Amino acid sequence: MSRESNSLTALALQKFKRNFWGVFSFLFIILIGLISVFAYVIAPDNSVSANQMHLSIHSKNPGFKVDMLTVPSIVSTNQNAFDKWFFGVKNLDEEIPISYHNIQNDTLFYKEYVSGGLEAEEKHIVFSDFETKPYVTQKHFVFGTDKYGRDMLSRILVGARISFFIGFVAVFISLVVGILLGSLAGYYGGKVDAVIMWLINVTWSIPTLLLVIAITLALGKGFWQVFIAVGLTMWVEVARVVRGQVMSAKNMQYITAAKALGYKDFRIIFKHILPNIMAPVIVISAANFAAAILIESGLSFLGIGAQPPMASWGAMIKDHYNYIILGKPYLALIPGLCIMSLVMAFMLIGNALRDALEVKT
Amino acid sequence: MTLNPILSLENVSISFTSQKQENEVIHGISYQLFSNEILGIVGESGSGKSISSLAIMGLLPKRVSKITNGRITFLDKELIGLSDKALQHIRGHDIAMIFQEPMSSLNPTMTCGKQVEEILLQHTNLTQQEAKEETLSLFSKVKLPKPNRVYTAYPHEISGGQKQRVMIAMAIACKPKILIADEPTTALDVTVQKDIIQLLKSLQEDTKMSVIFISHDLSLVSEIADRVLVMYKGNIVEQGDKTSIFKSPKHKYTKALIASKPSLRVRFKRLPTIKDVLNNTVNKAIISKEEREKKQASLYSKQPLLEVFNLEKTYFSKSGWFSKKEGFKAVNNVSFKVYEGETLGLVGESGCGKSTLSNAILLLDKATSGSITYNGQDITNLTPKEERKLRKDIQIIFQDPFASLNPRIPVGKAIMEPMEVHNIGTSYKDRKQRVIELLDRVGLTKSDFNKYPHEFSGGQRQRVGIARTIALQPKLIICDESVSALDISVQAQVLNLLNELKENYNFTYIFISHDLSVVKYMSNQLLVMNQGKIEDIGDADAIYNSPKTDYTKKLIDAIPKGL
Repeated sequence: MSRESNSLTALALQKFKRNFWGVFSFLFIILIGLISVFAYVIAPDNSVSANQMHLSIHSKNPGFKVDMLTVPSIVSTNQNAFDKWFFGVKNLDEEIPISYHNIQNDTLFYKEYVSGGLEAEEKHIVFSDFETKPYVTQKHFVFGTDKYGRDMLSRILVGARISFFIGFVAVFISLVVGILLGSLAGYYGGKVDAVIMWLINVTWSIPTLLLVIAITLALGKGFWQVFIAVGLTMWVEVARVVRGQVMSAKNMQYITAAKALGYKDFRIIFKHILPNIMAPVIVISAANFAAAILIESGLSFLGIGAQPPMASWGAMIKDHYNYIILGKPYLALIPGLCIMSLVMAFMLIGNALRDALEVKT
Repeated sequence: MTLNPILSLENVSISFTSQKQENEVIHGISYQLFSNEILGIVGESGSGKSISSLAIMGLLPKRVSKITNGRITFLDKELIGLSDKALQHIRGHDIAMIFQEPMSSLNPTMTCGKQVEEILLQHTNLTQQEAKEETLSLFSKVKLPKPNRVYTAYPHEISGGQKQRVMIAMAIACKPKILIADEPTTALDVTVQKDIIQLLKSLQEDTKMSVIFISHDLSLVSEIADRVLVMYKGNIVEQGDKTSIFKSPKHKYTKALIASKPSLRVRFKRLPTIKDVLNNTVNKAIISKEEREKKQASLYSKQPLLEVFNLEKTYFSKSGWFSKKEGFKAVNNVSFKVYEGETLGLVGESGCGKSTLSNAILLLDKATSGSITYNGQDITNLTPKEERKLRKDIQIIFQDPFASLNPRIPVGKAIMEPMEVHNIGTSYKDRKQRVIELLDRVGLTKSDFNKYPHEFSGGQRQRVGIARTIALQPKLIICDESVSALDISVQAQVLNLLNELKENYNFTYIFISHDLSVVKYMSNQLLVMNQGKIEDIGDADAIYNSPKTDYTKKLIDAIPKGL
């Protein structure tokens, strides 16, 4: 019905649409989201974690081109297409960067690529036993290669996944825990509030890093642990905001009206209070999304986040930060810029939402 | 009265811009203010009475509003287009203003004395010591008890009426030529209102300043003003001296405004609304004394529906870890009976415990001691399940219709929800049909079903609130200041609706208000409360005609009677 368009949510949406940076950031985030979902489809190097190493061409400049000889593996893997699309190809083929090649009958003569003006000795392979197409292709490394000779662009694309997912998982965990505890504390007050506030204060006083280390010790190293740890520290902020909002909302007359009409507490909290306090929660979630990405990159930088060979922007900076003074700053700068632009987009979206929903923070 | 006006507005138009659309709210008004007179401006909310006075002070919100046309001259000086600095000099010094809310117009972190002193130091050349003496003399001029105590008191330490006096002291500190009083007594109790009005009047006589008195209450304005100006939708519909306006109003709107206020002398069957007056269909039927007596007798022959016995509600404030808890009895030993089909009026000033009492009856805030019997059953110690069942029978209509509706739920759904909870109606379709009937019943249409609360006007929202309340088919309805937030003309419509519904559905009302004239019009039985206790109880007309206690007398005297 046309009347529906007058709800407060619809009005806020109209306002949001008029904010250029908000819409721009939203589209940007959607783009990054699509990239992270289809990372392996887009990435030039679609091996698992974009982990195809070529040590001889490590840390090359962006735009580096080289001929690549692919030697297919004899072992065949039975991966289905879906698995390949979403989790990368379990590639066992060998890739050798070459500077020269020549085919005579069923033998391929080639020289391995060596940087620094040196020349490698000629090698040859007999290829009669594998039915393959062209073995030699020219490879183009748009963002250059990292210190293991992996394709930077592919690593960045695949790395977007971690940043994105940590944001989602952390925000999801923080919302579930935070809204539940916050609304209970705010609505019932008294002893319930005292206990939950105590829990909030204790959790808040534990440094995120320490909590992650503790959780890592308990559950083992890995990025799932980081997800949980970040989510478990972040619910505190959500809970505090929700608690404050519920406390002021429960004094609104429409809540008194709801009580007088004989509604149950559950119904009042979930149907009448929560929809009215979602605005600040949405705004804080956008900020939390950004914070989660930053925390994850920080943790990866310290080596307690995603473990190699998994690609993560923070870990990429960690791998290459000492190249900054060695004349190859882009190795650390590119993932750095990626983190910055994604966090920035979330911040801008948060601002736009705040204006649209008229939250005063 | 001299012929030279001290302030004159010529053809002033003011527009507000929202979303790049210009919206004219004041359409070319002109009036003059002469020295040594009190000009009353009357109008309902949205009539532009406050905006036009803010324009004089140059206090209109900068970016969204502008004066599109006209001239405002103050002592031959054009005020429109004056620099901020020049305006600042005029503000406070030549033209001063008192606002509606004394609670929020005083800075809570400064003592009252300091706030008045600040103005004196800003606009005059007095020394600190002289300013203090001047402040104290101003405080005694506005008849504040113990000026020395008020001087060092913070705003939260003095009462609302005293705060308004401090505000007046601030306003007259620099001996302004014009004082603009924008609804200065609306937030105050009637008895305090009377004192403030008298104070303003005597101050005006002493200082010979000109006063613009803005109010929505025509009879109040008639008590203070020399000349009256009636505004309606951004136009001045009528102006003239007060006797001519009251005795022989020319414009229909003025006539309607005078007629819609419940009269204290006669009891109309239906209050005339603006529409009635405009269409000349005023129903002049009066409930005669005999009719009323007969009705009363039949009402009180039945068993009481609700019986309140020795009810007490005590609030405790914790003052420290070791000191004893201090109790404050908001409701103290209150007993009364409500009979089926009657309207029990409950009047009292703010803080007298009338809302606490209604919350106790609704079981929203349980009483400390005493009993409440509904249909012979004590309802003070019910299990949550029984309590929810009872909610269906005892309902409330709130004061602020906007605040009592959830802004994110369309009104149709909001009315339907209590039916779902209490299993009224069999299916969604059935309930929707019932909701549409209810909407129709309270004077709204089917197309309002999917509208949100913010799309309605104040009076319509109150109708939605009423529809939601009667959706449960309750027996007893508590109207907690249900018409206080509404304009007089809308108030008349809502009161008529309440009376109609009562006849059709046989509701019993407990009608709470601070406005004695409304309560008297509505009620069979009247209950006057003061400081948690019942001052007076009995037949509404009897109490009004021969009040037993001093407090009731004072309350009745304080009602602005008009001319």
